[in-house]
Amino acid sequence: MKLSLPPGVSAAAMSAAFTDFASVVGAQWVLATDEDRQTYTDHFALDESRHAPAGAVVPSSVDEVREVVRIANKHRIPLWPISRGKNFGYGGAAPRLKGSVVLDLSRMKKIEVDVENGTVLVEPGVGFYDLHDYLRKNNIPLWISVPGNSWGSVAGNALDRGVGYTSYGDHTSKVCGLEVVLPDGDLVRTGMGAMDGAPTWQLYRYGFGPAWDQMFVQSNFGVVTKLGLWLMPEPESVYAIDMELDKPEDLGWMVDVLAEFRRDGTLQQAPSIGNWLRAAAVLTKRSDWYDKPGLLPDSVINAIRQRFGIGWWSASLRLYGYRDVNRAYADVITKRISAAGKVEIKTKEWERGTPVPPDPFMGYPITFPLQNANWYGGRAAHVGFSPVLPPRGDLAMEQFRRTHAIYTRYGFDYHASFAMGERHLTNVNQVLFDKDSPEMVKQANAMFIELVDDATRHRYGEYRTHLDYMDLVASTYDFNDHALRRLNEKVKAALDPNGIIAPGKNGIWSPGYEGERA
Amino acid sequence: MKKLIALVGLAGAACAAVAAPDNVPLDGRALFEEKCAMCHRDMGMGTGLLQRRMDANIARLENRTDLTSEFVVMAARIGIGNMPRIPRGEASDAELRAIGDYLADSATRAP
Repeated sequence: MKLSLPPGVSAAAMSAAFTDFASVVGAQWVLATDEDRQTYTDHFALDESRHAPAGAVVPSSVDEVREVVRIANKHRIPLWPISRGKNFGYGGAAPRLKGSVVLDLSRMKKIEVDVENGTVLVEPGVGFYDLHDYLRKNNIPLWISVPGNSWGSVAGNALDRGVGYTSYGDHTSKVCGLEVVLPDGDLVRTGMGAMDGAPTWQLYRYGFGPAWDQMFVQSNFGVVTKLGLWLMPEPESVYAIDMELDKPEDLGWMVDVLAEFRRDGTLQQAPSIGNWLRAAAVLTKRSDWYDKPGLLPDSVINAIRQRFGIGWWSASLRLYGYRDVNRAYADVITKRISAAGKVEIKTKEWERGTPVPPDPFMGYPITFPLQNANWYGGRAAHVGFSPVLPPRGDLAMEQFRRTHAIYTRYGFDYHASFAMGERHLTNVNQVLFDKDSPEMVKQANAMFIELVDDATRHRYGEYRTHLDYMDLVASTYDFNDHALRRLNEKVKAALDPNGIIAPGKNGIWSPGYEGERA
Repeated sequence: MKKLIALVGLAGAACAAVAAPDNVPLDGRALFEEKCAMCHRDMGMGTGLLQRRMDANIARLENRTDLTSEFVVMAARIGIGNMPRIPRGEASDAELRAIGDYLADSATRAP
């Protein structure tokens, strides 16, 4: 992949910056060959060339990060910080702005655990496997919450508001204290970390005065170099309630029942109600069942469901805590659900002292859900469309029907889930496609834009999106003629006058990049 | 998914940070465990997808006898199918070569 330059930067300036970067991190950690650029593109994107980087610089310490940021200011080089670059479906390692230099933090892998208080301080390069293995190896009785792709970074996932399977699965809500390199190279610690040496940095979130942790989440206001996170003390018992629902319309009543349990706190974990394809695409591929283009007939869907024993929808509830308490809650939950509609329920229990199975609901990291991208074969790819709804069964059913109709019109197999937050419902839809089919790529893009438009008409906004759609989604947050964008860009201009850190991230741009907003 | 989970014993992925000085030979097995095992041992995306197109016994890379070091390095740098490319920031040339040598030398690996 040839060198791409960001707007207003000459090849000479880029070359001078690379030389200066090398003086800080060592020449072997400035990566700017054609092959290097290719490895930092988004493998799963609709069009990789749109987000081609100029190269990458790979520091090993916070001091090196600060120097790299200062050099970037001097040469006006935009940096795109990544933790481990595994944000698949949202852009991977690739920058929003073509020609940015990827600031790859994957060599920064320090882990500091406070066993007694159940917290950890991680650097961005620490992956879920790294942290899991560290805790097990040192016999620390704390569990992590892992996402469906646990290859990625613990810090990076929390900073993009990723989610996991346990009651600690709303990762960004478990963040407690950050260390951040600001765009001018200054270094700040948030919360109690603002007091040098405070033993409460990972224990109390707010500190004194304004609390800034969320300011550095899904933003481009700084480079997070350390992130504090709360971990779950290993529970006495885990109670599993796995459910299969037979009909599409079962989604409505299930959402209503689970929403009540989330509101009143009976259920601390955020169960995700996924359709048959969410399970099937991990287990098999389309061509094993059907060799024609167009939609799968119901007879084929039924055959797949029967073969793997999956419902039209499936949902998994988990209770974590004392055995007797779990059992009492499980009794209430299963009775209420069974009274509300037809459902197949399977339960099981795990108790402390027995081996912990390799189960993501028990903090075991996994990658196999990524197999779903191979559903259509070819060079498989996927993007996620994830609007946030009120937690109401009738609204969920309407959202499902409209989205299913759009997928049907564009000829894509419907792949969706509805995750139950405490007061909201996140409707995560995967658009799976084969990158080797230009027609399918074109249709996937057109469908995505229509899905955003449809959600916006119902005043539902997305919680997270791919690089290609950051400007589109940001534009849907339109109160008072996009007052939030004006605020974000005032903050951006104040902190980062040269527009160095991740221009365009989440639709936030700096002066000088006016032409880049999509 | 349930079936996949049921199939598996604990993948032995005890990972030490691997930062050897230049004069110490790199440990290909430890590097494989740190950088590849999440996808290429049991329950991993790579093993799962390879099982779709080859005998399950050889879907695990460590069970293969036909891999060359050069092929492993190339596959990691240019990606294959679902497998994204691995940048040098994540695995340096020397580290990737050590992993390739480990996978190519089936005789030294425990079955």
